[in-house]
Amino acid sequence: MVNLTFDRVSKKYKIYADPSEEQSRSSLLNKIRRRFRNHSQEFWALRDVSFTVERGEALGIIGLNGAGKSTILKLLYNITTPSKGEIRICGKLSALIEVSSGFHPELTGRENVYLNGSLLGMTRREIRNKLDSIVDFSGVGGFIDSPVKRYSSGMYLRLGFSIAAHLDPDILLLDEVLAVGDAAFQAKCIQRIAQLRKEGTTIVFVSHNLGAVESLCDRTLLIKEGQIYKSGATHEVIATYEDLLLRVSPKGRAAATESSTAAAAEIVAVKVFDSEGRNTTMFATGDAMSMQVELNVHRRIEDAVVEVYFNSVFGNLHTHFSTETGGQRLDLEPGSTIVEFSCAEITLEVAAFEVEAAIRRRGLSISDFVDRKHGAVINVGRGKPVHGVFYTPHQWRVLTGDATKHMQHE
Amino acid sequence: MTPRVSIITAPSLSTTKLIHDLGKLVRYRDLLYTLSVHRIKVRYKQSVLGGLWAILQPVSLMLMFTFIFSFVAKIPSDGAPYAIFVYTALLPWNYFSSSVSNATGSLVNHAQFVTKVYFPREILPATYVIASLFDFVVASVVLVGLMMYYGVPLTIHALYVVPIVLILTCFALAMSLFLSATQVRFRDIGVAVPLLLQLWLFATPVIYPLSSVPERFRSIYMLNPMVGVIENFRQVTLRGAEPDYSTLTLAAVVSVVLLCLSYVYFKHLESTMADII
Repeated sequence: MVNLTFDRVSKKYKIYADPSEEQSRSSLLNKIRRRFRNHSQEFWALRDVSFTVERGEALGIIGLNGAGKSTILKLLYNITTPSKGEIRICGKLSALIEVSSGFHPELTGRENVYLNGSLLGMTRREIRNKLDSIVDFSGVGGFIDSPVKRYSSGMYLRLGFSIAAHLDPDILLLDEVLAVGDAAFQAKCIQRIAQLRKEGTTIVFVSHNLGAVESLCDRTLLIKEGQIYKSGATHEVIATYEDLLLRVSPKGRAAATESSTAAAAEIVAVKVFDSEGRNTTMFATGDAMSMQVELNVHRRIEDAVVEVYFNSVFGNLHTHFSTETGGQRLDLEPGSTIVEFSCAEITLEVAAFEVEAAIRRRGLSISDFVDRKHGAVINVGRGKPVHGVFYTPHQWRVLTGDATKHMQHE
Repeated sequence: MTPRVSIITAPSLSTTKLIHDLGKLVRYRDLLYTLSVHRIKVRYKQSVLGGLWAILQPVSLMLMFTFIFSFVAKIPSDGAPYAIFVYTALLPWNYFSSSVSNATGSLVNHAQFVTKVYFPREILPATYVIASLFDFVVASVVLVGLMMYYGVPLTIHALYVVPIVLILTCFALAMSLFLSATQVRFRDIGVAVPLLLQLWLFATPVIYPLSSVPERFRSIYMLNPMVGVIENFRQVTLRGAEPDYSTLTLAAVVSVVLLCLSYVYFKHLESTMADII
């Protein structure tokens, strides 16, 4: 069943060639003058865009800056209307956006939840029923009855986001602004999205974060200059987009030839295992883990380098390890090969991480790059105590005079 | 349960779209309520006198006008004590002028909402009208006090206050919708409104009685809906008499027609507001 349709939608904006004209936009006289002279130019942010989204499907929308992605989002959310064409939406549509900018500093957290909840289209009864859950999700706890001007900026953002996370829509719009709060809160948001997805919520996800799009979306649209450049299975569209990106930057041209035409090897899968060899995504700080990078080597690669990355779910690099610094020389023969990374203790904080692997030749030029692949999102839960950003195996000693006491950490 | 289907198209003027818009407004009624309560709460938060300001504003104007126009300028007041004469007009006038002056900037001042979230935009100016209505009700207490002090009897005709205030609300809403939507395009409106309201005060029988307006200007003068509203408000409270049905009907017709027109105008501009705000 079709949930959402874009039927030959175009959106036109007016831009003014002369920036001083633009500045005096709000003056009546200039406006009248311009009416007669007609200095404005038209700019089509979207041109004849048509697509449909089925119920329960997750659609990704990617593209360069200015391609028209956010215009699609604005149109879907009815913040603005199309200049031509028609958008049909079946059911309740909400956007998971951070709304704390609408908070009134003098009002309490609770009052602001009512205010912003109703701005987002919730009824007072709905808010009343969900209030506990919203407060719980945001983690502001006892501060809910304090004026929000006394909140830390993190609490502010988390509370704003928690309201939006409780909308129960049929169609959910997701945006880059997902990058809210600390890693633990981000993991909670990802879980919430995964839950909505499982419940059959249709999702439209606009993002630059290809890893996140790949893990969430079945189908993806690539928007270029206001038109659909490619649509189809997410990994295919992402491949096209990466080609497009490389073509845009002159430096990447060599890599484009390497990766798209004559890849010497490809990464088939990136798998994560626990200490007992089970393929899992659940860990705790201090657990042992290993990661296997399955390679399909087409041509012999001398002096290859395999790397694993731990990214935040928003694609920021947390840390990476490489055979270049940590292992011996690696020559790969054609055929299937597995390169394993293992560690005795995960020293990451409590959060979700996306693992990623890459293979390249030794050397830092982009032409040495062979292949790169995203793996699963792993969850690192509470294990060894960590209150900062990482855990490290450690010892304690008390040094008094000659007597040296030893305290071994458990 | 069949899901609601909403269709978003290019801005157009059709009856179905208008009915659709009104339906949306009904669905968002809780937002109207919450935002209006919020306006009232926030207005007097962190002020010592709080809600008393709702009374102080019209009362201080009354005292000033009484001094200037009664003691100094000796303006007639149809025989009634000037203080109560001017207060019966200041009360509805203040409701109107504070609605319009606060609502005019409502969209521009909430640009962060308008560009981020969808909701029927008319709710923003409407909440200012509702907040002013609340102040009006609070300040009415003073009118009752003045009537008792001057021994003005309260008659059954005072009940006409309800339809009169309803007409006034329609008119205040009409002006608020028109001015706030226009302000999004032309910021000149924000500067012009205080001046407009000042001039308007003198074109309305607030500080002088209707009887002192020359007969030959009356027909044009009466087109200002505030004339019918204020004159009849005075009629049913101060004079305890029946309202003048012809002027009241005229004010009602003008107000309702203007409200319909400015709602259509507002909804037409609404669709592209976020692009130009």
